[in-house]
Amino acid sequence: MVDPDVHLMLRVRDGDAEAFTELMRRYQGRVLLVLEHLVGSRDWAEDLTQEVFLRVYRARKTYTADAKFVTWLFTITNHVASNALRTKARRREVRLRGAANSSGSGRPLERFLQCSSGQIPARQLDKTEMRDIVRLAMETLNERQRMAVLLNKFEGMSYADIAQAMEMTPQAVKSLLSRARLNLRQMLIPYLETGRPPEAPPSVGAEELAS
Amino acid sequence: MDAPQPPKITDEDLIAYLDGELEDAACRWIEKLLMTDPAIRRRLQELERTWELLEKLDEPVADDRLTRSTLEMVAVEAAREVQETSPLQGRRFWVRWLLVLGSLLAAAGLGVAVGWFLTDDPDRQLLEDLPLLENLDCYRQIDDFQFLKGLQERMLFQEDQSDEG
Repeated sequence: MVDPDVHLMLRVRDGDAEAFTELMRRYQGRVLLVLEHLVGSRDWAEDLTQEVFLRVYRARKTYTADAKFVTWLFTITNHVASNALRTKARRREVRLRGAANSSGSGRPLERFLQCSSGQIPARQLDKTEMRDIVRLAMETLNERQRMAVLLNKFEGMSYADIAQAMEMTPQAVKSLLSRARLNLRQMLIPYLETGRPPEAPPSVGAEELAS
Repeated sequence: MDAPQPPKITDEDLIAYLDGELEDAACRWIEKLLMTDPAIRRRLQELERTWELLEKLDEPVADDRLTRSTLEMVAVEAAREVQETSPLQGRRFWVRWLLVLGSLLAAAGLGVAVGWFLTDDPDRQLLEDLPLLENLDCYRQIDDFQFLKGLQERMLFQEDQSDEG
C-alpha cells in the first residue's frame, strides 16, 4: 500500500486502538496548527482538534481507502472548523445586534497599525512583531482562503488534494489561493518596505463566503 | 496588421508556478518571461517573500495532555457505543429468559392439573355423592334396595317432572 497512514486507518477500522494512537501522534500537531491559525485561539483549536479525532474515530467503520488519509483527515478538519466558525459568527451576530456602532474599525490589522505605525519607521521588525503582523494579515483572509493557504503552506497539499478536502474544483482552489496570496502581498509588502499601514485590503470575505 | 500579442501573464499563473502546479510548457513560458521582464520578476519575488513570511507564524505543538485528553474522549465514545449496542443484546437476553419462564409456568400448570386428577380429593368425592346425600333421609327409611329399584323401573320418580310438564 502506498500510503502507510491509510493502512493505519484501516487497522483503526478493524478495532486496533494502537493504530489510532499512532495516527493521533502523527497528525494531532498538524491538525492543531491548521486549526489554531484558522480560528485564532489555542484553547478553541485544541477543542476542535479533539472533535476532529473524535469524528475520525466515529467514522472509522465507514472509512474506505479511496483517498490519501491526510486528504480525508483535512476534509473532516475543514467541516469541523467551518461549523465552529459559523456557530461563532451566529453567536457574535446575536451579541452585537443593536451595538453595531460601539467600536471603530473591525479590521484587526488596521487597528494594530493605527496603534503602532507611528512608532515603526522603515526599520527591522523584531521576530514577535513580525509574527503578529503576519498573523493579523492572515486574519484578514476569509475562512476559505485561510484554510487553503494553511493546507498549501503547512501541509504541502496540491491543488487537487486541497480541492478534495475543501470540496471544490482544483481550478477554484487555484483562484482561491491566488486571491489569498495577493491579499497577503497587498497587506504585508508595503508594511515591510516602509512601515506604513497598507491600503485597505480588497473586499475579501463576502463573495467567497457566499460561494 | 499588428503581430499577435503574447498572452499576458496573470498573478494566478505566477502563484501556480511557485506552487509547482503548472505544466512544463507553461513553466518554460514563465521562466522565459522572468528572464526578460523585471516587473514580472519583482511580482514573483514579492509573492515568494510574502509566502515565506508565513513561516513566522507560531507552530503550536500538541502536548501529551492534549493527546491524553483526546484519547480519554475517544474511550468515552467507545464506551457509549458499547452501551448503545448492549440494550439490543439485553432485549434478546430478556426475551430468551421470558420464554424459559413461560415454559416453566406452563409445565407447572400442567403438573397441577394432572395432580388434581390423579389425587384423591375429598371435595371431589363429596360432589360426586351429592345426589345421594340430597336424598339420604328418604333412603334411610327404606330397607329394601330391590324395592327402590322397582320404584325406579316403574318411573315413579319421574312423576313430579311429568306433572310439571
